[in-house]
Amino acid sequence: MAKGFLPCGTYHQDYKHDHAWWQTKFVKGKMILLAIILFIVIPRMDPYWVGIANMIGYTILGALGVDLLIGFTGQITLGHAAFIAVGAYTSTLLILEFPWPQVFHYLGIAYPISIIVGAVVAGLWSVLFGLPSAKVKGFYLILTTMAAQFVTVDFIITQYVAKIGGRGQAFSLPPGTIKIGPWIVDNPTKVYYLMIVLVLLCIGMVANLLRTKPGRAWMAIRDNDIAAETLGINIVVYKLLSFFVAGFIGGIAGAFWISNLAAISPEHFPWSWSLWLVGVILIGGTGSIHGTIFGSMFMVLVMEFLQMGILPLADVYPQLLEKFLFVKESTFGLAICAFLIFEPNGLSYRWWQIKNYFNLWPFSY
Amino acid sequence: MSQTNLFFMTLTTGLMVGGIYALVALGWVIIYKCSGVLNLAMGELTIIGAYVTLTFYQMGVPFVLAVVISLIIGLVLGILTERVFLDRLIGEPILTVIMVTVGLSFFFRGLVEFIWGTNTRVFQPPVFPLKPVKIGFLVIGSVYLWSFVTAIVLLLILVAFFQYTRWGLAMQATADDEMAAISLGVSARFVYAAAWAIAFMAAGVGGSLLGNINGLNISVSYLGLLVLPAVVLGGLNSIPGAIVGGLAIGILQNFAGAYLDQYFPGGVKQIFPFVFMVVFLLFKPYGLWGWERIERV
Repeated sequence: MAKGFLPCGTYHQDYKHDHAWWQTKFVKGKMILLAIILFIVIPRMDPYWVGIANMIGYTILGALGVDLLIGFTGQITLGHAAFIAVGAYTSTLLILEFPWPQVFHYLGIAYPISIIVGAVVAGLWSVLFGLPSAKVKGFYLILTTMAAQFVTVDFIITQYVAKIGGRGQAFSLPPGTIKIGPWIVDNPTKVYYLMIVLVLLCIGMVANLLRTKPGRAWMAIRDNDIAAETLGINIVVYKLLSFFVAGFIGGIAGAFWISNLAAISPEHFPWSWSLWLVGVILIGGTGSIHGTIFGSMFMVLVMEFLQMGILPLADVYPQLLEKFLFVKESTFGLAICAFLIFEPNGLSYRWWQIKNYFNLWPFSY
Repeated sequence: MSQTNLFFMTLTTGLMVGGIYALVALGWVIIYKCSGVLNLAMGELTIIGAYVTLTFYQMGVPFVLAVVISLIIGLVLGILTERVFLDRLIGEPILTVIMVTVGLSFFFRGLVEFIWGTNTRVFQPPVFPLKPVKIGFLVIGSVYLWSFVTAIVLLLILVAFFQYTRWGLAMQATADDEMAAISLGVSARFVYAAAWAIAFMAAGVGGSLLGNINGLNISVSYLGLLVLPAVVLGGLNSIPGAIVGGLAIGILQNFAGAYLDQYFPGGVKQIFPFVFMVVFLLFKPYGLWGWERIERV
């Protein structure tokens, strides 16, 4: 999606200005306001809402990789939960099983290291399943990413990885193991701070990558891969790079999410979670970082409100409560269908229109 | 059991289950050929048919009649689905259409779980006799045998429908060249609706038969997903390919269960078709008989 228009009467006068992230004072003001809300207002809210913010952050981290693949490189993936699971399990295993020197635990650098290692392992795993993209595309590629999901989560992790250490199906993380420096991450607010830092870092990384050579190559491949090849872009390398970065962010998402879970098990990464992430970016609008954020907020909040709306009804029809999960699934399915049919450009397109309306006001022609 | 015996037992069981996969895969290919929709909701179509049959069967309706009722409901649902959701998406990009079917699969799955719950249900009393059938030295569960026979009969009926009836020919014409078919007076919208109706019905029968084998719960929809490796194996737009692919996946799956399970314990039977598919795609990216698309800028 094209950049928005500048406000009436504002012009670029040099390249530095043209390339700036925040081009007007108004945008800078908005960003400061956003920072205040993110770092000061939300952490002081009710822990329940902070928990929801964490859920949104996790969805953003997961969907960012999916958006990179689908929205920017045009490689449709329906198996992203597998890479999130790889990140989560690598990180957990490193914390629980790796013979760290005691001083590492004491200084609290085991978890940060495990996040990075988890992300790299997830990225490499993603490249492995991205290899067929050198030869196949379209629907056939979708099937190979589906295979990634079934092979990784339903087979390798469930049957082998989850049995390491003989803990049974779920790896429980004892309190105090998730430690960054001197801080023990043990309540929603601390998880929130970790989340917000990771989300901002990842968004910054992706946004910057998209402005550089790899980003332009990805978009060329998305628009027409054969034309991109004739332009001298090595499409295999760039497709695989895209898979790596997407898996890397997925790994960060997984490694982050273990801080919010008391125990992780393969059921946290089902195929429906992969599909959910794709639905999130479609609702938000593909090929747009704004879209990823809006889609995540929309889906998580709508589901929360749906739950609140249904709770009063539960007195009349108690079965509704225990079957809420299924209502949620159905609603999500209908929401995807409705968005694709009636608003195929997603929420970010609306946002773009609204922003332009105000920027161009009062001369909208 | 001797080695050869095991081999032939696995082969026949695989073939029998493969017949059911072939039936469902045929439904998938019909949708793809006629309307170009890559349908990921096939698993859910399978369980909807299965649950409808089961409900009527529990109410005392004979099995055959229950299947017929589920066929009628499948017909109605298929036409409705096409009209409400997919009719508006003709000509949209591939991702949009696929994700609408994903949305549909979430919707149907939620609906099925809401109505019928998640516990495993079995056809009670058993539809097919429990006593296995002996053919030569082979011993086959009669469920498998009868499922296979039903699936093959339905496959033949469907193939005959395409070859000899007016509607079937119209569908073939649309699949071949939509523009030409429309100019000859074939209603494309009718063909799309018919394709979805047929897919729903085929998946419903397939689901009812699969439900007879292992009992029915939400994970039967995973078996419905196995049609995807089957159609990829045969090539997306080939009806014989779908049948061969279905049979091949059934056999491969059972061989993986019989021979590979000792080396890789766990669910190797479930994922082997997908692994095989990925490796296969590396060598034959368009399946056995799929159309190779030549792309130009």
